[in-house]
Amino acid sequence: MDLQPTEEQQLIRESAEKFLADRYGPETFRALIDSDARWSPDIWNGFAELGWLGLPFPEDAGGFGMGPAEVVILMEQFGRVPVLEPYVSSVILCGKLIELLGTDEQRGALLGEIASGQLRLAFAHDALEGPMTVTRGADAFLLSGVKRAVHDAPMAEIYLVSCTLDDGTVAVFSVPANAAGITARSHNTLDGRRLSDLDFADARIPPEARLGGGTDGRAAIDEATAWAITASCADAVGAISAMVEQTVDYAKQREQFGQPIAKFQVLQHRLVDMKIAEEEARASVLLAALSLDGDAAMRERGASGAKAKVGRAARFVHQAAIQTHGAIGTTDELMLGWYAKRLVAFEKQFLPTRRHLGRYAEIISDPEAAAAPLLREATA
Amino acid sequence: MDLRLSKEDHAFRDEVRAFLAEHMTDGLRRAMELNTCFINEPPVALAFHKALHAKGWAAPNWPEEFGGTGWSPVQRYIYESESARVGAPTFNDQGIKHIGPILMKYGTKEHQDAYLPRILSGEDVWCQGYSEPGAGSDLASLKTRAVDEGDHYLVTGQKIWTTHAHFANRIYVLVRTNTEGRKQEGISFLIMDMDLPGIIVRPIDGSGGDHEFNEVFFEDVRAPKSGLVGEENQGWEIAKYLLEYERGGNPQAARVRARLSSVARLIKRYADDDPSLTLRLAEVGTDIDAMEMLELTLLSDLQSGKNPGAVSSLLKLRWSAMQQQLAELALDIAGEDALRWESGRPLYESLQLPPDTEEMLGIGPRYLNYRGYSILGGTSEIQTSILAKQLLGL
Repeated sequence: MDLQPTEEQQLIRESAEKFLADRYGPETFRALIDSDARWSPDIWNGFAELGWLGLPFPEDAGGFGMGPAEVVILMEQFGRVPVLEPYVSSVILCGKLIELLGTDEQRGALLGEIASGQLRLAFAHDALEGPMTVTRGADAFLLSGVKRAVHDAPMAEIYLVSCTLDDGTVAVFSVPANAAGITARSHNTLDGRRLSDLDFADARIPPEARLGGGTDGRAAIDEATAWAITASCADAVGAISAMVEQTVDYAKQREQFGQPIAKFQVLQHRLVDMKIAEEEARASVLLAALSLDGDAAMRERGASGAKAKVGRAARFVHQAAIQTHGAIGTTDELMLGWYAKRLVAFEKQFLPTRRHLGRYAEIISDPEAAAAPLLREATA
Repeated sequence: MDLRLSKEDHAFRDEVRAFLAEHMTDGLRRAMELNTCFINEPPVALAFHKALHAKGWAAPNWPEEFGGTGWSPVQRYIYESESARVGAPTFNDQGIKHIGPILMKYGTKEHQDAYLPRILSGEDVWCQGYSEPGAGSDLASLKTRAVDEGDHYLVTGQKIWTTHAHFANRIYVLVRTNTEGRKQEGISFLIMDMDLPGIIVRPIDGSGGDHEFNEVFFEDVRAPKSGLVGEENQGWEIAKYLLEYERGGNPQAARVRARLSSVARLIKRYADDDPSLTLRLAEVGTDIDAMEMLELTLLSDLQSGKNPGAVSSLLKLRWSAMQQQLAELALDIAGEDALRWESGRPLYESLQLPPDTEEMLGIGPRYLNYRGYSILGGTSEIQTSILAKQLLGL
């Protein structure tokens, strides 16, 4: 049992703080929000140069072999900006999916290009909607149907598309975004990012585009999703911590009735509640991160537990931060409004808070599971 | 960063589990399940405590030179957590966790020789005289006087909310020895035998039906001066030292987790058809996960010699709320069954009911008693104000 950050982990935090302070201040953020693309190739290349785009990939695939603890440290700093670039989609969700499911050849072809910054991907999965229709042709699969709300699709060169095949297995296809038969209807999102609804009309997918050959993709999808949920929870903790910090600062300098409003006990106690929500949310994310190398049940408990807990903290903190700021908190004049929107979006992505609470409830309603301590068995 | 136990700690955990499996008898387990108080009554735990003492485990938090275990912070955490997980009783916490460490730091050799072995053996039971009718959250305004009369102190005044004073044969009290200057600077730390003439214990029955607290009156008590711990007027510093000593030494996540598990069992048994209850259980579950991670972070800090920072108020604030939420949830599961009232205490002695029904009778008392969790040991409001200073510099 050791929860002390390593030197390497501290270094990741410090280099992230420095890069983002130098290159990604509120002005940069606002300029990107005003642009059509909503992301910056320049920033993305900066991420690549710092090694962040290959952070969790194995070294033999062009990555740095880092684990979940490093990912959440980096993501928390991203959330404090908040970074608009499609890091979770490309690197964590799609990258991990390729690493877990892909053949050696597919991993070699794709992971290195993600790490070097040449390739961005989006996962067309759509867990709640009806299945796509897949027809096996002579030399290709034919895909028809709709994948809704594919996050970061507008900046992706490749979509990973999940489909259930006639034999009951789930396939994940790696498809160029400009392939014939695919139409993207793109939207801005509430928090300033981009997503697309993808229409597939007999899109022809060659068999070699299926990740992992004939392997059922379910387990890999679940595992990559747990990574992505954990990373996005860490991002939310970053936004929460920025909001808490800025709200405390504001309360200390804002004067009414001849004194800083931070002198009023009713506000002091609210600020403490916000800070506690932040600390607890961060602790949940750490648990989720350290659960990712366990079995499927442990991963699900960690990820869904964190999504539920951080979701609750996100709702409470952004509402309390707005209220404490007063009227200015309801505008986009400060960054506050963008953090609030980021947190609302966080709650919706990868299934909403209440569904994760439901999943966690199924696990914890077993008295044995409820009683189990978090400290794990010794390593062999 | 890693949540895996080392091989040595894993082996230690197995040893603790084996001990608990042997000594948590069915009778003791039932008594603890039916315990509705904050702290179980000492008699029920005496045999268990003697077994601990025989194994050399009576004082997990003491150094070996005083007869403690000399355990590492991690071993201690494992022991406390495993004990809480199976609902093991505590015996004389006021002796082992409070006055013991104080005597080791501030007591004379005579104090240590006279009292520490008797705490280990279970011969002595201690109680704490801090709060007064007019000094609750504002403890330093206490008024119980100790006047130096040459060969003794003459003690007059009143303490209140004294847990288990009716079981204790010793008491340590904060008394006023000086009324000049800052109120914190006129307080002394005094220990007394409970059978001194003039010490009168009067019970306070909680609305949950339990007698856990007392008033303790001091009517011209002639207390030997040998009972003074530290210097005269050093009492406030001594009381504060304990907060420092306790840091990280009182893990609560496992205790709350044990209640989570028993409420999960209640839902399965009585309300499996109501998903709203399971969702409330899950919310507390995620809270406990976060708290356990905060406790483990604190433990890891201690283990690596780092200053853990200001988390004890945060943890107290949160675990007390979780205990209350679970007691409330149990009440909601039980519905009308929670209205059956058994007034005899302790429940395990007064009940002769089928096991399925008897657990229902603890739910109402526990709900009522647990309202006190956010009051005792520093109210939630006080903890929040401490955190405003410590965490936010307000």
